[in-house]
Amino acid sequence: MFSLKQTIVVLILLFMSTMVQAQIKQGYKAPEVALPAANGDTIRLSSLKGKVVLLDFWASWCGPCRISNKGLVKLYPKYKDKGFEILAVSLDEDVDDWQKAVKKDKVSWLQVIDKGGWESGTVNQWRIVAIPTSYLINKDGVLVAMDLEGKNLEKALNELLGD
Amino acid sequence: MTLQVLMMQAQFSKANLQATGLTCALCSNAINKALKQLPFVESVKADIKNSSFSIVFRPGVEVKPDAIKDAVEGAGFFVGGLQVTGSFNSLNTGPDGIIKIGTSWFRFLKVSNQVLNGEVTFTLQDKAFLTAKAFKKISSTVKIPSLSTGKAEADQVKSGVKKGERIYHVTI
Repeated sequence: MFSLKQTIVVLILLFMSTMVQAQIKQGYKAPEVALPAANGDTIRLSSLKGKVVLLDFWASWCGPCRISNKGLVKLYPKYKDKGFEILAVSLDEDVDDWQKAVKKDKVSWLQVIDKGGWESGTVNQWRIVAIPTSYLINKDGVLVAMDLEGKNLEKALNELLGD
Repeated sequence: MTLQVLMMQAQFSKANLQATGLTCALCSNAINKALKQLPFVESVKADIKNSSFSIVFRPGVEVKPDAIKDAVEGAGFFVGGLQVTGSFNSLNTGPDGIIKIGTSWFRFLKVSNQVLNGEVTFTLQDKAFLTAKAFKKISSTVKIPSLSTGKAEADQVKSGVKKGERIYHVTI
C-alpha cells in the first residue's frame, strides 16, 4: 500500500493543516491573554467571561489607533454598564509613552502592555500583523468579529448584549 | 595604512527612516520584520515624534542603503526619507565631495573639501530615498545625471569611483 515515506509525508501534511487551522478565527474560542496593567497586576481575558469584550491591539505610535480611541471613548460609556468591556493591549516598548497616550486619549477601559512589541508572545499568538486590530468576543469567550468600528460595532454590541 | 584603517572604521551606526504608502507604515509589522532580517540591522523602533523608524546598525557589518530600500519596498511601502548617522575621524570629502564608506560611494551635494569629524548625519537624496515631491525639488537645483541613475558618471572617476558604479548622493 503506502510506503513509509508516503505515510510520513501524509502525516506531515495533516500536521500542517492542523497548524493552519489553529488560527484566530471567527467561531473559535479566544486564546487566553494574561498581561500586566500599569500597576503591575495581571489582567486575564478569561476573567472577563460573561461580558462582551473588545480586545484591541494598539500602540501610542500608531496614528490610526489613536483615532480609533476617539471613537471608542464615545462608545464605551454607552455600553459599559450593559456588560461590555474593552481590553486594550499596547505594543509599546516604553511604559511612559503608553501611559502618556492613555492619559491624553482619556481612555478609561482596561489597559495592558505586551512590551516586546511585534515580537511579543501575545502579538504572535494572535498573529497580529498590523494595528489597530480588534476582536469582538462574546459572553462565552468565542470570537465573533474582527475590526468592527463605529456603527458596525454598535450594531454587533446591541445584538450580543440584548437578551 | 592608517588612512585605510580609518576608512574601514567609518561606519554608520544608526538611521532614521520615513516610509510612505497607502496605509500607516509604522502600524504594520511588514517593514519592521523586513528590516530586522537585514544582516546589518540590530534593532528597529517606532519613533512616534517623527513618525519614522529608528534603526540601530550592527557594528562591523556594512550598511547598504539599497538593501533598506529593497526591504521597505518588499514590504509594500516606499522610502520617503533616510538619514544615516556615522562617526568619522577626519575624513576629507575631497574636491569632488566623493568618499567611499565600506564598498559604497557617497557623493556630497553642495559640499566639497570638508573634513568630517565626530558624529555626522547624511540625508540620502537619491530618487528611491525621497518622496517624489522632494526629489523633484532637489533635482531641479542639482543637475547631475547620477542623481537619477545612481550610477557614477565618467567625470567622477578621478575620485576613484568607476564609471557605472553605484553612487549615493547625500547632504549633511
